Amino acid sequence: MSEHDQIIENLPLYALGELQGEDRLALDRHLDGCTDCRNELEKVRGDLAMLAFSVSGPEPPLRSRQRLMDAIAKEPRHLGRNAQSAPTRRNWWRVLELAAAAAAVAFVLFAVRENKNLEREIASVQAESANQQQQLLQANELLTSLTSTEAEHFTLVAAKSPPQPQGKAIYVRRNGTLVFLASNMAPLPEQKIYELWLIPKTGAPIPVGLFKPNASGSATIVKPQIPAGVEAKTFAITIEPREGSPAPTTQPIMAAAPQA
Amino acid sequence: MAQLYERYSSIVYAVALRVLGDTGAAEDVLQEVFLQLWRNPQAYDEGRGSLPAWLAVITRNRAIDLLRKRKPDANIEDVVVYCDPNVFGKAEWSGALDKIRRSLSGMPAQQRTALEMAYFEGLTHMEIAAKTGDPLGTIKTRIRSGLSTLRKAFNP
Repeated sequence: MSEHDQIIENLPLYALGELQGEDRLALDRHLDGCTDCRNELEKVRGDLAMLAFSVSGPEPPLRSRQRLMDAIAKEPRHLGRNAQSAPTRRNWWRVLELAAAAAAVAFVLFAVRENKNLEREIASVQAESANQQQQLLQANELLTSLTSTEAEHFTLVAAKSPPQPQGKAIYVRRNGTLVFLASNMAPLPEQKIYELWLIPKTGAPIPVGLFKPNASGSATIVKPQIPAGVEAKTFAITIEPREGSPAPTTQPIMAAAPQA
Repeated sequence: MAQLYERYSSIVYAVALRVLGDTGAAEDVLQEVFLQLWRNPQAYDEGRGSLPAWLAVITRNRAIDLLRKRKPDANIEDVVVYCDPNVFGKAEWSGALDKIRRSLSGMPAQQRTALEMAYFEGLTHMEIAAKTGDPLGTIKTRIRSGLSTLRKAFNP
Protein backbone atom coordinates (compact mmCIF):
# COMPACT_ATOMS: atom_id res chain seq x y z
CA MET A 1 0.00 0.00 0.00
CA SER A 2 1.45 3.41 -0.99
CA GLU A 3 1.94 6.18 1.55
CA HIS A 4 -0.87 8.06 -0.14
CA ASP A 5 -3.27 5.10 0.25
CA GLN A 6 -2.23 4.74 3.88
CA ILE A 7 -3.00 8.42 4.47
CA ILE A 8 -6.42 8.14 2.84
CA GLU A 9 -7.16 5.14 5.03
CA ASN A 10 -6.27 7.08 8.14
CA LEU A 11 -8.32 10.18 7.32
CA PRO A 12 -11.40 9.01 9.27
CA LEU A 13 -9.19 8.42 12.32
CA TYR A 14 -7.73 11.89 11.89
CA ALA A 15 -11.14 13.51 11.49
CA LEU A 16 -12.38 11.71 14.59
CA GLY A 17 -9.45 13.15 16.55
CA GLU A 18 -8.04 9.72 17.23
CA LEU A 19 -4.64 10.01 15.57
CA GLN A 20 -1.95 11.20 17.96
CA GLY A 21 1.81 11.52 18.12
CA GLU A 22 4.00 10.73 15.14
CA ASP A 23 1.10 9.33 13.08
CA ARG A 24 -0.70 12.62 13.37
CA LEU A 25 2.38 14.69 12.59
CA ALA A 26 3.07 12.56 9.53
CA LEU A 27 -0.47 13.04 8.31
CA ASP A 28 -0.28 16.78 8.99
CA ARG A 29 2.89 16.96 6.90
CA HIS A 30 1.26 15.03 4.07
CA LEU A 31 -1.84 17.23 4.16
CA ASP A 32 0.31 20.34 3.85
CA GLY A 33 1.42 19.23 0.43
CA CYS A 34 -1.50 17.18 -0.88
CA THR A 35 -4.59 18.99 -2.06
CA ASP A 36 -6.40 15.74 -2.87
CA CYS A 37 -6.05 14.48 0.68
CA ARG A 38 -7.08 17.83 2.15
CA ASN A 39 -10.20 17.77 0.00
CA GLU A 40 -10.93 14.21 1.03
CA LEU A 41 -10.48 15.10 4.71
CA GLU A 42 -13.00 17.92 4.32
CA LYS A 43 -15.44 15.45 2.74
CA VAL A 44 -14.90 12.95 5.57
CA ARG A 45 -15.74 15.70 8.03
CA GLY A 46 -18.86 16.37 5.98
CA ASP A 47 -19.78 12.67 6.28
CA LEU A 48 -19.29 12.89 10.02
CA ALA A 49 -21.47 15.98 10.14
CA MET A 50 -24.26 13.92 8.61
CA LEU A 51 -23.87 11.46 11.45
CA ALA A 52 -24.30 14.36 13.85
CA PHE A 53 -27.52 15.35 12.09
CA SER A 54 -28.99 11.94 12.83
CA VAL A 55 -29.35 13.02 16.45
CA SER A 56 -32.62 14.36 17.73
CA GLY A 57 -33.36 15.50 21.22
CA PRO A 58 -34.98 18.17 23.35
CA GLU A 59 -34.66 21.85 22.51
CA PRO A 60 -32.11 23.77 24.57
CA PRO A 61 -33.65 25.46 27.60
CA LEU A 62 -34.79 29.06 27.13
CA ARG A 63 -32.22 30.28 29.65
CA SER A 64 -29.42 29.23 27.27
CA ARG A 65 -30.43 31.84 24.73
CA GLN A 66 -30.48 34.60 27.33
CA ARG A 67 -27.15 33.41 28.73
CA LEU A 68 -25.57 33.66 25.28
CA MET A 69 -27.01 37.10 24.57
CA ASP A 70 -25.84 38.34 27.99
CA ALA A 71 -22.34 37.03 27.30
CA ILE A 72 -22.25 38.68 23.88
CA ALA A 73 -23.41 41.98 25.38
CA LYS A 74 -20.48 41.84 27.82
CA GLU A 75 -17.90 41.23 25.11
CA PRO A 76 -15.79 44.38 24.99
CA ARG A 77 -13.17 43.17 22.59
CA HIS A 78 -14.99 43.80 19.32
CA LEU A 79 -15.11 47.52 19.90
CA GLY A 80 -11.61 47.61 21.29
CA ARG A 81 -10.12 45.51 18.55
CA ASN A 82 -11.79 47.20 15.65
CA ALA A 83 -11.69 50.83 16.64
CA GLN A 84 -8.21 52.03 15.76
CA SER A 85 -8.63 55.38 14.12
CA ALA A 86 -7.38 58.05 16.51
CA PRO A 87 -5.35 60.71 14.75
CA THR A 88 -1.95 61.54 16.18
CA ARG A 89 -2.33 64.97 17.64
CA ARG A 90 -2.32 66.63 21.02
CA ASN A 91 -5.49 68.62 20.68
CA TRP A 92 -7.57 66.17 22.67
CA TRP A 93 -10.79 68.17 22.67
CA ARG A 94 -10.70 68.24 18.89
CA VAL A 95 -10.01 64.53 19.02
CA LEU A 96 -13.04 64.09 21.27
CA GLU A 97 -15.28 65.69 18.69
CA LEU A 98 -13.88 63.39 16.06
CA ALA A 99 -14.18 60.40 18.39
CA ALA A 100 -17.83 61.13 19.04
CA ALA A 101 -18.47 61.27 15.30
CA ALA A 102 -16.38 58.14 14.79
CA ALA A 103 -18.38 56.38 17.49
CA ALA A 104 -21.57 56.69 15.48
CA VAL A 105 -19.80 55.21 12.46
CA ALA A 106 -18.20 52.50 14.58
CA PHE A 107 -21.55 51.36 15.90
CA VAL A 108 -22.95 51.02 12.40
CA LEU A 109 -19.84 49.17 11.27
CA PHE A 110 -20.18 46.99 14.32
CA ALA A 111 -23.58 45.87 13.03
CA VAL A 112 -22.10 44.62 9.80
CA ARG A 113 -18.81 43.14 11.10
CA GLU A 114 -15.73 42.72 8.97
CA ASN A 115 -15.90 39.04 8.36
CA LYS A 116 -16.52 38.13 4.76
CA ASN A 117 -17.57 34.55 5.26
CA LEU A 118 -20.46 35.29 7.57
CA GLU A 119 -21.11 38.72 6.18
CA ARG A 120 -24.50 37.92 4.74
CA GLU A 121 -25.81 36.04 7.75
CA ILE A 122 -24.43 38.38 10.39
CA ALA A 123 -25.40 41.49 8.45
CA SER A 124 -28.96 40.31 8.08
CA VAL A 125 -29.15 39.75 11.82
CA GLN A 126 -27.52 42.96 12.89
CA ALA A 127 -28.98 45.25 10.29
CA GLU A 128 -32.39 44.99 11.94
CA SER A 129 -33.88 48.42 12.18
CA ALA A 130 -34.47 48.15 15.93
CA ASN A 131 -30.83 47.41 16.45
CA GLN A 132 -29.80 50.41 14.39
CA GLN A 133 -32.10 52.61 16.40
CA GLN A 134 -30.44 51.35 19.56
CA GLN A 135 -27.00 52.15 18.17
CA LEU A 136 -28.01 55.70 17.26
CA LEU A 137 -29.33 56.20 20.77
CA GLN A 138 -26.03 54.95 22.17
CA ALA A 139 -24.08 57.32 19.93
CA ASN A 140 -26.20 60.26 21.11
CA GLU A 141 -25.74 59.20 24.72
CA LEU A 142 -22.00 59.02 24.18
CA LEU A 143 -21.88 62.52 22.70
CA THR A 144 -23.83 63.88 25.68
CA SER A 145 -21.46 62.14 28.12
CA LEU A 146 -18.33 63.43 26.41
CA THR A 147 -19.48 67.02 26.66
CA SER A 148 -20.71 66.61 30.24
CA THR A 149 -19.09 68.59 33.05
CA GLU A 150 -19.00 65.34 35.05
CA ALA A 151 -16.44 63.75 32.69
CA GLU A 152 -13.17 62.88 34.47
CA HIS A 153 -9.94 62.93 32.43
CA PHE A 154 -7.06 60.47 32.80
CA THR A 155 -3.71 60.89 31.04
CA LEU A 156 -1.53 57.77 30.92
CA VAL A 157 2.18 58.44 30.42
CA ALA A 158 5.06 55.97 29.98
CA ALA A 159 8.78 56.25 30.70
CA LYS A 160 10.75 59.14 29.15
CA SER A 161 11.83 57.53 25.94
CA PRO A 162 10.88 59.19 22.69
CA PRO A 163 8.47 58.81 21.02
CA GLN A 164 6.48 58.92 24.22
CA PRO A 165 3.36 56.75 24.31
CA GLN A 166 0.32 58.48 25.68
CA GLY A 167 -3.15 57.34 26.62
CA LYS A 168 -6.12 59.52 27.43
CA ALA A 169 -9.15 58.06 29.19
CA ILE A 170 -12.31 60.12 29.55
CA TYR A 171 -14.60 58.38 31.98
CA VAL A 172 -18.07 59.14 33.31
CA ARG A 173 -18.60 57.03 36.40
CA ARG A 174 -22.35 57.59 36.66
CA ASN A 175 -23.17 55.67 33.49
CA GLY A 176 -19.89 53.77 32.96
CA THR A 177 -19.08 55.64 29.75
CA LEU A 178 -15.47 55.62 28.61
CA VAL A 179 -13.56 56.90 25.61
CA PHE A 180 -9.90 55.93 25.46
CA LEU A 181 -7.45 57.40 22.99
CA ALA A 182 -3.85 56.27 22.67
CA SER A 183 -0.98 57.58 20.60
CA ASN A 184 2.67 56.72 19.93
CA MET A 185 2.10 53.18 21.12
CA ALA A 186 4.81 50.71 20.21
CA PRO A 187 3.81 47.90 17.83
CA LEU A 188 3.38 44.48 19.41
CA PRO A 189 4.25 40.97 18.25
CA GLU A 190 1.39 39.03 16.64
CA GLN A 191 0.70 36.98 19.75
CA LYS A 192 0.45 40.01 22.08
CA ILE A 193 -2.14 42.73 22.59
CA TYR A 194 -2.58 45.77 24.79
CA GLU A 195 -5.30 45.48 27.41
CA LEU A 196 -6.81 48.48 29.20
CA TRP A 197 -7.90 48.06 32.82
CA LEU A 198 -10.04 50.09 35.15
CA ILE A 199 -8.56 49.74 38.64
CA PRO A 200 -11.43 50.47 41.02
CA LYS A 201 -11.04 52.01 44.47
CA THR A 202 -12.01 48.61 45.81
CA GLY A 203 -12.02 45.24 44.12
CA ALA A 204 -10.20 43.55 41.27
CA PRO A 205 -9.13 45.26 38.02
CA ILE A 206 -11.91 45.38 35.44
CA PRO A 207 -10.89 44.51 31.85
CA VAL A 208 -12.02 47.39 29.66
CA GLY A 209 -10.87 46.39 26.20
CA LEU A 210 -8.13 45.12 23.93
CA PHE A 211 -6.35 47.15 21.31
CA LYS A 212 -3.52 47.07 18.86
CA PRO A 213 -2.21 50.39 17.58
CA ASN A 214 -2.50 51.23 13.91
CA ALA A 215 0.51 52.01 11.72
CA SER A 216 0.90 55.44 13.30
CA GLY A 217 0.76 54.04 16.83
CA SER A 218 -2.78 55.22 17.57
CA ALA A 219 -5.79 53.34 18.90
CA THR A 220 -9.16 54.03 20.49
CA ILE A 221 -11.62 52.17 22.64
CA VAL A 222 -15.06 53.68 22.49
CA LYS A 223 -17.76 52.98 25.05
CA PRO A 224 -16.84 49.46 26.16
CA GLN A 225 -19.02 47.56 28.62
CA ILE A 226 -18.26 48.96 32.07
CA PRO A 227 -20.71 48.65 34.95
CA ALA A 228 -22.19 52.02 35.92
CA GLY A 229 -21.07 53.64 39.15
CA VAL A 230 -17.57 52.12 39.50
CA GLU A 231 -15.20 54.66 41.05
CA ALA A 232 -11.87 54.50 39.20
CA LYS A 233 -8.66 54.77 41.17
CA THR A 234 -6.55 54.46 38.05
CA PHE A 235 -6.61 53.26 34.50
CA ALA A 236 -3.73 51.02 33.45
CA ILE A 237 -2.43 49.24 30.36
CA THR A 238 -0.75 45.83 30.33
CA ILE A 239 0.55 43.64 27.52
CA GLU A 240 -1.37 40.38 27.37
CA PRO A 241 -1.68 37.29 25.16
CA ARG A 242 -3.57 38.17 21.98
CA GLU A 243 -6.90 36.81 23.21
CA GLY A 244 -6.70 39.08 26.27
CA SER A 245 -6.83 38.11 29.93
CA PRO A 246 -9.58 38.25 32.55
CA ALA A 247 -6.99 39.59 35.05
CA PRO A 248 -3.63 41.32 34.40
CA THR A 249 -0.78 38.87 33.92
CA THR A 250 1.98 41.46 33.55
CA GLN A 251 2.95 44.69 35.27
CA PRO A 252 1.28 47.81 33.85
CA ILE A 253 3.34 49.65 31.28
CA MET A 254 1.17 52.77 31.59
CA ALA A 255 -1.15 53.98 34.32
CA ALA A 256 -2.83 57.13 35.50
CA ALA A 257 -5.05 58.41 38.29
CA PRO A 258 -7.73 61.01 37.53
CA GLN A 259 -6.51 64.55 37.09
CA ALA A 260 -7.62 67.02 39.74
CA MET B 1 -26.51 36.08 16.13
CA ALA B 2 -30.02 35.72 17.56
CA GLN B 3 -31.23 34.39 14.21
CA LEU B 4 -28.32 31.98 13.92
CA TYR B 5 -29.07 30.78 17.41
CA GLU B 6 -32.77 30.26 16.62
CA ARG B 7 -31.84 28.29 13.53
CA TYR B 8 -29.00 26.10 14.75
CA SER B 9 -29.08 25.89 18.55
CA SER B 10 -31.22 22.74 18.39
CA ILE B 11 -28.66 20.73 16.44
CA VAL B 12 -25.73 22.06 18.49
CA TYR B 13 -27.47 21.25 21.77
CA ALA B 14 -28.66 17.84 20.54
CA VAL B 15 -25.15 16.79 19.46
CA ALA B 16 -23.58 18.02 22.69
CA LEU B 17 -26.25 16.26 24.76
CA ARG B 18 -25.86 13.04 22.78
CA VAL B 19 -22.11 13.02 23.45
CA LEU B 20 -22.09 14.25 27.03
CA GLY B 21 -25.41 12.91 28.33
CA ASP B 22 -25.67 15.84 30.71
CA THR B 23 -27.88 18.86 30.11
CA GLY B 24 -25.68 21.29 32.04
CA ALA B 25 -22.54 20.30 30.17
CA ALA B 26 -24.45 20.40 26.87
CA GLU B 27 -25.60 23.95 27.66
CA ASP B 28 -21.98 24.93 28.33
CA VAL B 29 -20.89 23.56 24.95
CA LEU B 30 -23.81 25.32 23.25
CA GLN B 31 -22.69 28.58 24.82
CA GLU B 32 -19.05 28.01 23.95
CA VAL B 33 -19.69 27.13 20.30
CA PHE B 34 -21.85 30.19 19.61
CA LEU B 35 -19.49 32.49 21.48
CA GLN B 36 -16.60 31.15 19.40
CA LEU B 37 -18.59 31.88 16.27
CA TRP B 38 -19.35 35.39 17.52
CA ARG B 39 -15.74 36.11 18.42
CA ASN B 40 -14.21 34.50 15.39
CA PRO B 41 -16.76 34.39 12.54
CA GLN B 42 -14.04 34.12 9.90
CA ALA B 43 -13.29 30.63 11.26
CA TYR B 44 -16.24 29.36 9.26
CA ASP B 45 -15.59 29.28 5.54
CA GLU B 46 -18.91 29.67 3.78
CA GLY B 47 -17.40 28.60 0.49
CA ARG B 48 -16.59 25.12 1.82
CA GLY B 49 -19.93 23.90 3.05
CA SER B 50 -22.94 24.56 5.15
CA LEU B 51 -22.89 26.32 8.49
CA PRO B 52 -24.90 23.62 10.29
CA ALA B 53 -22.42 20.97 9.16
CA TRP B 54 -19.50 23.03 10.43
CA LEU B 55 -21.27 23.73 13.71
CA ALA B 56 -22.07 20.04 14.13
CA VAL B 57 -18.42 19.05 13.67
CA ILE B 58 -17.10 21.78 15.96
CA THR B 59 -19.69 20.85 18.60
CA ARG B 60 -18.95 17.14 18.47
CA ASN B 61 -15.20 17.74 18.71
CA ARG B 62 -15.55 20.10 21.66
CA ALA B 63 -17.94 17.75 23.46
CA ILE B 64 -15.57 14.82 22.95
CA ASP B 65 -12.68 16.92 24.28
CA LEU B 66 -14.75 17.59 27.39
CA LEU B 67 -15.77 13.95 27.69
CA ARG B 68 -12.17 12.83 27.50
CA LYS B 69 -11.00 15.74 29.64
CA ARG B 70 -8.75 17.02 26.87
CA LYS B 71 -7.86 20.54 25.96
CA PRO B 72 -9.54 21.73 22.75
CA ASP B 73 -7.78 19.86 19.99
CA ALA B 74 -7.30 22.46 17.30
CA ASN B 75 -8.10 25.96 16.25
CA ILE B 76 -11.57 25.98 14.80
CA GLU B 77 -10.20 27.87 11.80
CA ASP B 78 -8.36 24.68 10.85
CA VAL B 79 -11.55 22.66 10.69
CA VAL B 80 -12.89 22.87 7.17
CA VAL B 81 -15.99 20.79 6.49
CA TYR B 82 -17.09 20.12 2.96
CA CYS B 83 -20.78 19.60 2.47
CA ASP B 84 -22.78 20.29 -0.61
CA PRO B 85 -24.49 23.55 0.42
CA ASN B 86 -27.59 22.54 -1.52
CA VAL B 87 -28.06 19.42 0.55
CA PHE B 88 -28.55 21.43 3.70
CA GLY B 89 -30.46 24.37 2.30
CA LYS B 90 -33.57 25.37 4.16
CA ALA B 91 -35.86 23.70 1.63
CA GLU B 92 -33.91 20.43 1.60
CA TRP B 93 -33.27 20.18 5.32
CA SER B 94 -36.11 17.91 6.25
CA GLY B 95 -35.51 15.57 3.30
CA ALA B 96 -31.78 15.44 4.09
CA LEU B 97 -32.46 14.39 7.68
CA ASP B 98 -34.74 11.60 6.45
CA LYS B 99 -32.03 10.39 4.07
CA ILE B 100 -29.42 10.31 6.82
CA ARG B 101 -31.64 8.43 9.23
CA ARG B 102 -32.71 5.95 6.54
CA SER B 103 -29.08 5.43 5.60
CA LEU B 104 -28.12 4.74 9.21
CA SER B 105 -31.02 2.41 9.86
CA GLY B 106 -30.17 0.52 6.66
CA MET B 107 -26.60 -0.18 7.80
CA PRO B 108 -25.62 -3.49 9.37
CA ALA B 109 -26.02 -3.08 13.13
CA GLN B 110 -22.33 -3.72 13.87
CA GLN B 111 -21.27 -1.09 11.35
CA ARG B 112 -23.64 1.50 12.78
CA THR B 113 -22.61 0.67 16.33
CA ALA B 114 -18.89 1.05 15.55
CA LEU B 115 -19.54 4.38 13.86
CA GLU B 116 -21.63 5.68 16.75
CA MET B 117 -19.14 4.49 19.38
CA ALA B 118 -16.31 6.31 17.60
CA TYR B 119 -18.27 9.45 16.88
CA PHE B 120 -20.56 9.98 19.85
CA GLU B 121 -18.62 8.21 22.58
CA GLY B 122 -15.18 9.26 21.39
CA LEU B 123 -13.85 5.72 21.68
CA THR B 124 -10.69 4.85 19.79
CA HIS B 125 -10.66 1.96 17.36
CA MET B 126 -8.67 -0.04 19.87
CA GLU B 127 -11.19 0.68 22.62
CA ILE B 128 -14.05 -0.34 20.33
CA ALA B 129 -12.22 -3.52 19.38
CA ALA B 130 -11.63 -4.33 23.06
CA LYS B 131 -15.25 -3.63 23.90
CA THR B 132 -16.78 -5.62 21.06
CA GLY B 133 -14.17 -8.37 20.89
CA ASP B 134 -13.74 -7.79 17.15
CA PRO B 135 -10.34 -7.41 15.41
CA LEU B 136 -8.97 -3.88 15.06
CA GLY B 137 -8.91 -4.09 11.28
CA THR B 138 -12.59 -5.04 11.25
CA ILE B 139 -13.48 -1.98 13.32
CA LYS B 140 -11.56 0.31 10.97
CA THR B 141 -13.31 -1.22 7.98
CA ARG B 142 -16.73 -0.87 9.58
CA ILE B 143 -16.17 2.81 10.29
CA ARG B 144 -14.86 3.55 6.81
CA SER B 145 -17.70 1.62 5.22
CA GLY B 146 -20.25 3.37 7.42
CA LEU B 147 -18.99 6.79 6.38
CA SER B 148 -18.97 5.70 2.77
CA THR B 149 -22.60 4.60 3.08
CA LEU B 150 -23.57 7.97 4.49
CA ARG B 151 -21.82 9.75 1.62
CA LYS B 152 -23.56 7.58 -0.94
CA ALA B 153 -26.94 8.58 0.48
CA PHE B 154 -26.38 11.96 -1.19
CA ASN B 155 -24.20 10.85 -4.09
CA PRO B 156 -25.69 7.54 -5.20
